[in-house]
Amino acid sequence: MPVRVPESSMPSQVSDDNAGNTTLPPCTLLSVGQAFSGTQNVSSLQKDEAWRVNVRILGCDLDHGYLCGTMEALNVPMADTPVITFWEGEIVDTKNYTFFTNKWGATSDDDIKHWTKFPSFSPLQSQVETDGGKSLDLSNYPYIFMRWKEQYFVNVGTDCGLTIAGFYYVCFSCSDGSVSGFYYDPNSSPFQKLELKSINEGRSGFSFSSYQLQ
Amino acid sequence: MPTSAAASSSSENQSRPVPEDIVGRLSSSMASYEIKLKALRDLKNQIIGNRTKKLAFLKLGAVPSVVSILSSATAAASCRGGYDDNLDSIIIQSAAVIGSFACGFDAGVQAVLDAGALPILLSLISHQNEKVVDAGARSLKLIYQSKLAPKYEFFKDQNLEFLLSLLNCKNENVTGLGACVITHSCRTSIEQRALNDAGVVRKLISLLGGSVIQRDSSLESLAAILKENSEVILKFVGPENGRALNDVIELTKDKHPRTRLLACMCLVVIRNALPSYLQDLQIKTKLVLILLELLDDPGQVGEEAPFILSSLIVGKEDMQRLAFQENVIDKLCCHLEKGSLQAKRLQGIFLALADLCSRLESCRTKLLSLKALQFMVDAMSHDSAEVRAAACICLKNVSRSVENLSAGTFMNESVINPVVQLLCDTSTSVQVAALGAISNVVVDFMVQKTTFIQFGGVKQLVELSKSMDSTIRMNAVCALRNLMFLVSDRCKEAILLELTQSTLTSLICDPEVSVQEQALALVCNLVDGSTDGIRHVFADNCSLLRAVVRQIQSASKVEVVIQGMYVLTNVASGDELHKEAVMDELFPTLPGGPQSIVIKFLQSNESQLRTAAVWTLVNLTLPNSSGAFGRAVKLRRAGIISQLKNMMNDPCLDVKLRARTAFGQMMTLGDGSP
Repeated sequence: MPVRVPESSMPSQVSDDNAGNTTLPPCTLLSVGQAFSGTQNVSSLQKDEAWRVNVRILGCDLDHGYLCGTMEALNVPMADTPVITFWEGEIVDTKNYTFFTNKWGATSDDDIKHWTKFPSFSPLQSQVETDGGKSLDLSNYPYIFMRWKEQYFVNVGTDCGLTIAGFYYVCFSCSDGSVSGFYYDPNSSPFQKLELKSINEGRSGFSFSSYQLQ
Repeated sequence: MPTSAAASSSSENQSRPVPEDIVGRLSSSMASYEIKLKALRDLKNQIIGNRTKKLAFLKLGAVPSVVSILSSATAAASCRGGYDDNLDSIIIQSAAVIGSFACGFDAGVQAVLDAGALPILLSLISHQNEKVVDAGARSLKLIYQSKLAPKYEFFKDQNLEFLLSLLNCKNENVTGLGACVITHSCRTSIEQRALNDAGVVRKLISLLGGSVIQRDSSLESLAAILKENSEVILKFVGPENGRALNDVIELTKDKHPRTRLLACMCLVVIRNALPSYLQDLQIKTKLVLILLELLDDPGQVGEEAPFILSSLIVGKEDMQRLAFQENVIDKLCCHLEKGSLQAKRLQGIFLALADLCSRLESCRTKLLSLKALQFMVDAMSHDSAEVRAAACICLKNVSRSVENLSAGTFMNESVINPVVQLLCDTSTSVQVAALGAISNVVVDFMVQKTTFIQFGGVKQLVELSKSMDSTIRMNAVCALRNLMFLVSDRCKEAILLELTQSTLTSLICDPEVSVQEQALALVCNLVDGSTDGIRHVFADNCSLLRAVVRQIQSASKVEVVIQGMYVLTNVASGDELHKEAVMDELFPTLPGGPQSIVIKFLQSNESQLRTAAVWTLVNLTLPNSSGAFGRAVKLRRAGIISQLKNMMNDPCLDVKLRARTAFGQMMTLGDGSP
């Protein structure tokens, strides 16, 4: 029978001296080579629609709060083939990036509106509203917040009729490797939800791979 | 035209004595001092600034003859005492000829040293005739500028006192010689401290206000004494409110380019050893801009400037960002565009660009936008090995860009072909640099890895993985590991066909830990992806699996064990047979046998090892696999449950979460009790 273990992973506040100095510890489920699969809800007022989405992590540099990978959208109506994009992520580690985006057309109000969609954000909300979360120590928090911004189309031209103008607010669960996200683009339907699960690609268990840049 | 060339040659022959004649006169025991003096002058006039002539005279044995003349003249002068114009002239001319041979010509330096000139020249420094002293000092300086000159032994006999006497001399060539000896010989922190304690630094600071020669040679030797020695630097910057430091900063504005360059070098040495100094943005920017400007110098200063720029920015992200903002990349590329650069300058520019691109993506993007990839490719066929290596190092650093690796920027014929060719280079440093570049380029996330295989890259890498040189071996295996990352089953087959099971098994057991680690990471990638890859570790009577297990049981380095455990984790993510095989290796059912090695790993101080070990347990106990219950029972018996309980609040979040998963799975499976 599973044993319930008391949850002690609440975010703590750091002293002013240490503010902005923490780097998130590595999480194996968010390491290079890991794959995720799920859907992105792209419903509009006219119709309900969801695209199947596959994501793979290709690069991770926790010192710089950087993550990148590819996102593959399947059954996209106007595309003959799956559409692959390359994205780069900002990890909210309060050292390199805070919860406030300060770019890509997102105001701090937009930020709060999106972050609050994640239940795991609620313990952090009041502090984030005060200082963007700068004084939070998230190094032992079991969720990782990120922004993923698609940078270019990998296998189709920019004339494919699709846009990558927006970006995703993302919450990753370190426990089970699930990813939740909300797409933000003032010119697209609001709060398009991305839901991904860590996948084993036909295996009976978790598998890991790595490369080492020289 | 042939006729005029012949005429010119004939007239030259009339006015210039032939080398054989000069050497004949020098070595003749019958020749008078006057004849020898004339021969020395003729020789000096012919070899000054002429490498070809120096080599020709070297082959004729001119150097031993000149040193012998110097030796006899010095001995004769010492017997006579006082001034002797004839003897002194001979000494001065022969010292000058020796200096000429040594000037910028290593073969000449070697010949001069072999002929025993050094102690004779040193004896000239205490000569009564100032002109003799001057000639000796000049000649010695030229010898000590070469790497071939022997290191001066500061701690031997009265050597330190002699060195101080050189620095205290009024003759600027003698003080220059003293500084030059320090620059050439001061390497260890003990020597640096001893020189400082003997008052050498104080003296050199005072010489900064002297002539151009004294200033430049003092700056150079100060850099040697201060290099990587924070203790001596603090003594240098501390007194008189940092007057010495301010003097050096002031010299960065000097009208002489070489003085500006050496002052920058001194400041870079200080900054690199004591990062708290020279933090002011203005001075940092100034250093970058001065060095950039010095790059325009057509001579030696321009050749050395990029190397100093490189040491200013290497490993320092703030400096790389600053250099980026000051458009250093554009300016360095402008120099490359000019073309026909001397080898040393080209090497320096590539190394500076490499350092700029070592960490910041913005720099890599900029460099690639300036079409610099073509410059690197072109330089890979340069005559100079240093240039070829520097071009590869630049490609290595620019190809750290995951964004460009994802876009397939580097994996094309025009880049791959020349780098693969350099794997067979005659220079080891070029091979290592090419391997570094290839290691990154083959990470390529697009489906273009076959391009590399088609160009024979794997064959070369496999050859180098058997090299006697462990650095080459490690780099070659790292490249194969990266090539194996997220690769198709077909490519895996192609790589393994070339590499062979037995070579891979030997690499896992390589005497070098770094090679073992890379080889295990390679196997990890081999058994990742589709489950088909897992069968390779069971081939040849499980040779790979056995080698992996042997390493995790015996390796002394935790990094090796971590990689080994991830191999087993991946194998344990396969089918039932795979899981059982891992189980048998890690938990052999020997009654009363020793505790499983996994318990030791779960208790390790290294969180990454704990993580890897728990992942293996997670895969072995996935409740939906048919043999999970039996394995859970075995694991309980091995004491895993109580160990996992202890890890429920592990200080490492990753370990804690995985331990909870493994524990939860084992609880779900139960223990078979009603």
